[in-house]
Amino acid sequence: MTVDIRVRDLVKHYVVAERTGGLVASLKSVFRRRHRRVRAVDGISFDVEPGEIVGFLGPNGAGKTTVLKVLSGLLYPTAGEAVVLGHVPWQRKREFLTQMTLIMGQRQQLFWDLPAIDTFLVNKAVFGLDQEAYEASVASLEDMLELGELLYRPVRQLSLGERMKAELAAGLLHSPRVLFLDEPTLGLDVTMQQRIREFIRDYNEATGATIILTSHYMADVKALAKRVIVIDHGLVLYDGTLDGLAERYAPHKTITLHLEHPVDGEKLRRFGDVTVVDELRIEVRTTKDAAPAATARLLADLPVSDLSVEDPPLEEVIAQVFERDS
Amino acid sequence: MLAGTVALTKAELANLFQYRIVMFLYALWEVVNPIVYLVVWSLVAGDGEVGGYRRGDFMMYYLVFMLVSHLTVAIEVYTFAPLIQQGKLSPRLLRPMHPSWSAAATNIAYKTVSLIMLVPVWIALFLILRPPFQGDLIGILLFVPAISMAVLISFLAGSAFAMLAFWTTKSFSFWEIWMSLLFLFGGQVAPVAVLPDLARALAIGMPFRYALGFPVEVVLGRLEPAELLTGFALQGAWTIVAAVVFALVWRAGIRRYSAVGA
Repeated sequence: MTVDIRVRDLVKHYVVAERTGGLVASLKSVFRRRHRRVRAVDGISFDVEPGEIVGFLGPNGAGKTTVLKVLSGLLYPTAGEAVVLGHVPWQRKREFLTQMTLIMGQRQQLFWDLPAIDTFLVNKAVFGLDQEAYEASVASLEDMLELGELLYRPVRQLSLGERMKAELAAGLLHSPRVLFLDEPTLGLDVTMQQRIREFIRDYNEATGATIILTSHYMADVKALAKRVIVIDHGLVLYDGTLDGLAERYAPHKTITLHLEHPVDGEKLRRFGDVTVVDELRIEVRTTKDAAPAATARLLADLPVSDLSVEDPPLEEVIAQVFERDS
Repeated sequence: MLAGTVALTKAELANLFQYRIVMFLYALWEVVNPIVYLVVWSLVAGDGEVGGYRRGDFMMYYLVFMLVSHLTVAIEVYTFAPLIQQGKLSPRLLRPMHPSWSAAATNIAYKTVSLIMLVPVWIALFLILRPPFQGDLIGILLFVPAISMAVLISFLAGSAFAMLAFWTTKSFSFWEIWMSLLFLFGGQVAPVAVLPDLARALAIGMPFRYALGFPVEVVLGRLEPAELLTGFALQGAWTIVAAVVFALVWRAGIRRYSAVGA
C-alpha cells in the first residue's frame, strides 16, 4: 500500500530557558541559566494515504503544530522518522518543497505592503511555474475562492477573511499534492469559515490532494475529516473515524423530548439521567444499547409531542478524551 | 534560483519604495560618515603628505570609499536575524530555495533604492571637491572582481552573524564587534597605508580590509603589482573562508530553529 505520509516514533523536544520573576532571579540568570525540556511531540506514529483528509485534534500545546512543522521541513525532529511523498522533510529538497504547502492561520507569507498578486508573481518564479500553469492556477483559485479585486489591493488593507483567502491561494499556486493546514479558519466569522471549509473540500475533490488539518473549530473537522488523530501531551490518544471516536469515548446518546404539558419531577427521575431544560423540554442520557428501549418507554409513559435521538456533540467527546488522558 | 531571486528583488524594491524617507535617511548617514574622515584627514595632511596620501588623495579615497562602503554594507543583522527570532523564517523555509537568496534580494533592493538617492549627492560632492584621480584602466578593471568579492565577504559574514540568532537573541552585539574591527582595520578610520606598522600588518592579514577598503585602493591605483597579487590572493582566501563559515553556521543553526508557537 502506498502512503503519502509515513511517521514513525516521531519525537521533538524543545529546550527552553526559564526563571522566576523579579530582579534577583534575573540577576541569578546572568550567571546560571535554568533550562527545561518541553516534550512537544513524544513518540507519534501514523500513516496518511493519498487523497485523505485527516483532522488533528488536541488542546493548545498538545503538539499538533509541531508535528505539522516537522512534516513540512521547518523543524528537525529530536528522534524518529518521517517520509512525505518519498522525501525526508527536513532535508528540504526542492522536489519535496515544490509538492507540498503549509498554511498557518496566524502566519503570513504575503508581502504586507504589496497587493497579493505581487506575492503570486514571486511564487511563480520561485516555484518555476510556466506562464500557462500559472494562469490556469490563478484562474481556478480565483474562481474557487472568489478572489476578484482583492488580489490587487495592498495586503494590509484586506480584512482577516480576505487575507486568509489570499494566503490560501498563494500557498496553493504551485498545486501541491500534500497540504498542511494549521488553523486555516482561526478568527474568521462563521460565513467565512464555511466558505474556506467548502473550498478545502472542493480542492481535495478536484485535485485528490492529501490534507492534514488542525482546527479549534469542531465544525471544520466534522465537515472535512472522516478520520481524526487526537493528540495530547505529544502522544496519539486516538486515530480512527469520527464516529468511532464518539463510540469509544462517549458511548451514550441524548434523547431530547418536547412535552405537551409539564410533568412532575418525581415521575421524570425514574427514567435515569435526566436534565430538565425547561418545563416542556427535557434531555435524557442513556447508553447506546439502551437507547431504543428507553425511547419506547418514554413515548409510552409521557405526553411526548416531539422526540429526537442524537450522538453527544463532538466538543463533549473530545473533552472526555482529554479528561481520561489526564 | 536566479529567476526567483530576481522576482524577490523586484518585490522587495516595490516594498522599499514605500519607505522612501527612511531609505533617504539611511543613505544620508552613509554620506555624512565618510565626510567626517575626509575632512579630518584633509586637515591633518595640510599641504604635506601622510603615509603617501596628500590632501586631494584623501578626498578621492573617501569619496570612492563612500560608494564602496555603501555597496558592501551588510544589513542581514537587521533584516535576517529578526526573522529567525520571531519565527518569520518559516514562510521562507517553505520556498524551494535557500532563504539567503531572499536575504540577498533584500540587500540588493536596499542598495538600489538608496543608491538612487546617494548618487546625485555623490556627484555634487565630486564636482565641489574635484579631487585628483590617478588610477588607470587596469585599476578600474580590477575593481570589478575586488568589489564583487568584498560584497560577497560582507554578505556572507553579515549573514553568518545574523544566524547567531538561532542561538542567542543578541546576535547584534556580536555584529558590533565585527563592525568595530571593520572600522579600525577595514580602511574606514584611515586608509590601510596610513595605519601604524603593526596595525597595517594586522589589517593586511585580517578579513576586514578585503570586505571594505581593498577595492578602493585597487581602483585608485595605490597598490604595487606585488601588493595587488597578495591582496587578491588573500581576498580570494577570505571569500572561501566566509563561504565555509556561512555554510557551517547555517547547517548547525537550522537544526536549532524552533520558534515555539511561531
